[in-house]
Amino acid sequence: MGIQFKEVNFSYTGVQKGFYEAIKDISLTIQDKDELITLVGQTGSGKSTLAQHMNALVFPTSGSVEIFGKLVTAKRNRKIKYNEIRQKVGLVFQFPEYQLFEETVEKDIMFGPLNFHVPEIEAKELAKKALRMVGLSESYLNRNPFNLSGGEKKRVSIAGILALDPQILVLDEPTSGLDPRGKRQLMNLFKSIQMETGKTIIVITHDMDLVYEYATRVLVLNAGCLVFDGTPDSLFKKPSLSEFHLDYPATIRVLREINERFHTQIDIYQKTVSDATIAIKRGFKS
Amino acid sequence: MAYLDIEHLHFQYSSKRMVLKDINLSINKGEWIAILGHNGSGKSTLAKLIVGLLSPKEGSIIIEGQKLSDETVYDIRKKIGIVFQNPDNQFVGVTVRDDIAFGMENLQIPATEMLEKIDFYAQKVGMEQFLDKEPSQLSGGQKQRIAIAGILAMQTDIIIFDEATSMLDPGSRAELMEYIKELHREGLTIIMITHDIEEALFADRMIILKSGEIYQDCEISVALRHPEWFEEAYLELPTAMRIYYDLRQDGETYQELEEYLWEFSLKK
Amino acid sequence: MKNIIIGQYIPGTGFLYKLDPRTKIIAVLILMVAVFLLKSITQLMIAFGIAIIILIIGKISIVRVARGLKPIFILLVFTFVFQIFFNKEGTVWVDETLTFSLVSLIVLVAWTIVWRLLTKLKKFKMMLFFLYIAGVYLILRYLTYGTIFSTFNFVVHEKGVEMSIFVVIRLLIIITLSTVLTLTTKPTDLTQGIEKLMRPLKYIGISSDDFALIISISLRYIPTILDEANKIMLAQASRGADIAEGKLKDKIKQIISLLVPMFIIAFKRSEDLADAMESRNFVPGRERTRIYDLHFGLLDLMVALMTIGLLTGSIMARVLWIG
Repeated sequence: MGIQFKEVNFSYTGVQKGFYEAIKDISLTIQDKDELITLVGQTGSGKSTLAQHMNALVFPTSGSVEIFGKLVTAKRNRKIKYNEIRQKVGLVFQFPEYQLFEETVEKDIMFGPLNFHVPEIEAKELAKKALRMVGLSESYLNRNPFNLSGGEKKRVSIAGILALDPQILVLDEPTSGLDPRGKRQLMNLFKSIQMETGKTIIVITHDMDLVYEYATRVLVLNAGCLVFDGTPDSLFKKPSLSEFHLDYPATIRVLREINERFHTQIDIYQKTVSDATIAIKRGFKS
Repeated sequence: MAYLDIEHLHFQYSSKRMVLKDINLSINKGEWIAILGHNGSGKSTLAKLIVGLLSPKEGSIIIEGQKLSDETVYDIRKKIGIVFQNPDNQFVGVTVRDDIAFGMENLQIPATEMLEKIDFYAQKVGMEQFLDKEPSQLSGGQKQRIAIAGILAMQTDIIIFDEATSMLDPGSRAELMEYIKELHREGLTIIMITHDIEEALFADRMIILKSGEIYQDCEISVALRHPEWFEEAYLELPTAMRIYYDLRQDGETYQELEEYLWEFSLKK
Repeated sequence: MKNIIIGQYIPGTGFLYKLDPRTKIIAVLILMVAVFLLKSITQLMIAFGIAIIILIIGKISIVRVARGLKPIFILLVFTFVFQIFFNKEGTVWVDETLTFSLVSLIVLVAWTIVWRLLTKLKKFKMMLFFLYIAGVYLILRYLTYGTIFSTFNFVVHEKGVEMSIFVVIRLLIIITLSTVLTLTTKPTDLTQGIEKLMRPLKYIGISSDDFALIISISLRYIPTILDEANKIMLAQASRGADIAEGKLKDKIKQIISLLVPMFIIAFKRSEDLADAMESRNFVPGRERTRIYDLHFGLLDLMVALMTIGLLTGSIMARVLWIG
């Protein structure tokens, strides 16, 4: 099961941009459990468009996407209830402002489950559970979502999707605009949700440090093409990332500079600061 | 007297807790200062107070000896420009040319002079090929550069960047920083509001805000000697600095390496 | 949504681009009046010819304008049908009994399905539509077998046909004229033209300056808001709010789930925008200069004279009842 992309293209014609190919010839499989995938690439490389294909919000221009057994192609098939796909694959948009609309956090989180005809009492339970999962206490249930801080809004919007209990959770740039601590907290949250529930989580990000530290797999898009699909380790071991318009994680950059300056042989592939320190000590001793 | 003096500034939004408490700050002409703070520390509110978009509850802001008030606010705004966070919500014009012109139009500059300046400053931010483009055809980074051109055309002394890079991708962010460096070299006073310490390192001086108060105000190299300050203010040091402090922790010294890491972090 | 051409400026070089926007706005208004004064099909045909000639001289692709008419095609068809059915003046041209019978209804359904399938081909959509209408007519006219449910008389009067053609051509000319205006005039020029023309309103307390700014900011944010509305729709669809499926009660809730975010974001944006404008020295009501100066030149004079000529012509035609 999971999601299979087969030679998917998506293009549109706009008045201003003219004919525009957002994603080109993408083939890719995403398992329905135990993956923490990051999707990276510069602005305009097609990351969001690709994410929107994962729960049939947009339909490919050609090729097909099979999502939990349902085949999505350019033609709408009346027999398929596309809405049901969205319960299996949840997509959280970048700005929580796009989805929050109820007067209480509880009602807002319940909106999703109620759309899928979950009884009210159960929906309430789901809301509580989802809120706990994103690390907010029950005291938030009766608060007005519009009075929360940016980070809290983001968490509530994620809970709104988690309440549907999707098997795959896709998040479009969830860490943008947050301070470094906020970023790390959110990534830790995704990791713990992933460990606890076994759901597959896909995170779109620009932050290579987070990719390196958290992801089990990384997808790189460049000008609409999938140019890399593998582990972060193998990505960052490439001698150059400039063709992908990506940078290396900070630890690798710093260690590489040190090696150059001091002619040392430190193993530069360290994911965290403390690992980097240990590697330096080892390198300097020998 | 410094170019800009802030004295005993207090601010609160109606009926809420105090957002800024007893802010005292002097900024000299040509200085580049970074105002650093976690989300919700009150740093954007401070920016809005300086350009008179909000009025303080107590205290005063004095620019070139002129106290900011309802009467002087229009004069003072001619001296200070501000680039906001959201590139889309500050693009007023229908085209790039119109947007650069907007501020000058308000200052009643004659049309011929405006057209000359538009060409000049568009070139300065590398947007001379885009003058007839509409905002929907531009990237976030390009919109921010146009916002800068619009301010330069008004010939202000100070530019405030209020988290102006936070909605951009790393590429456009680095590009924008290059333009800001160039402006500083040419003598503009830069106030950079950010939560990204890597960006703050380009400044001469760092002001750390913590829950609405000035927690520290000192030169960058001094601030970096105190990792505990950043910890206290919910901020994170750059990676090279964190390695530097990690190395020093257990007593062993790697002097040459440490010096190098220090230099590497300072960027100057 | 992405193919709407009405209201879209497309850069070009023809003489229409060189005109003062004020000239164009006034000329279009006058020509519209002139068109409404015309009383016969012959006169309208001449006017239509003139409109085409303007397009050709102005180097505007007729195909492009025609494509722009697509969104209002339904309106044109509706007007046409309405006039044919309800105008009961003049000599009777067609008087036939149309029959709804078991057979004709079954065939009708089949014919509709065939038509829907054929439209999937995407080409010749227009032609297929007319073919379909003709088919419907033939079926209702001749397939009178089986149980007859009801009959009605399909009567077409001379005046009906005349009026329907008349009204449709008039609409076509008017839409072509306004498309030409927006196609050849930058939004900024357009708003400035409107602003200058509204100057006299100052005396009754309306500031044309502010009004023009409001128009230009609206124009600037239309694409942004459309794009955002689309994203909000997708974000709520991700939570199962698919407007296409679901009961009425759900639908109301779902519509609210779109409107609330749209308003909240718009509100936040207007605050941001006000801050940005104020910080760039904008003071409501204060005099501003403009980068574009409007010039009323020789070409404008010529166009103005020609427009007046055309208006005179149409008044004469009406008064003297020529054609």
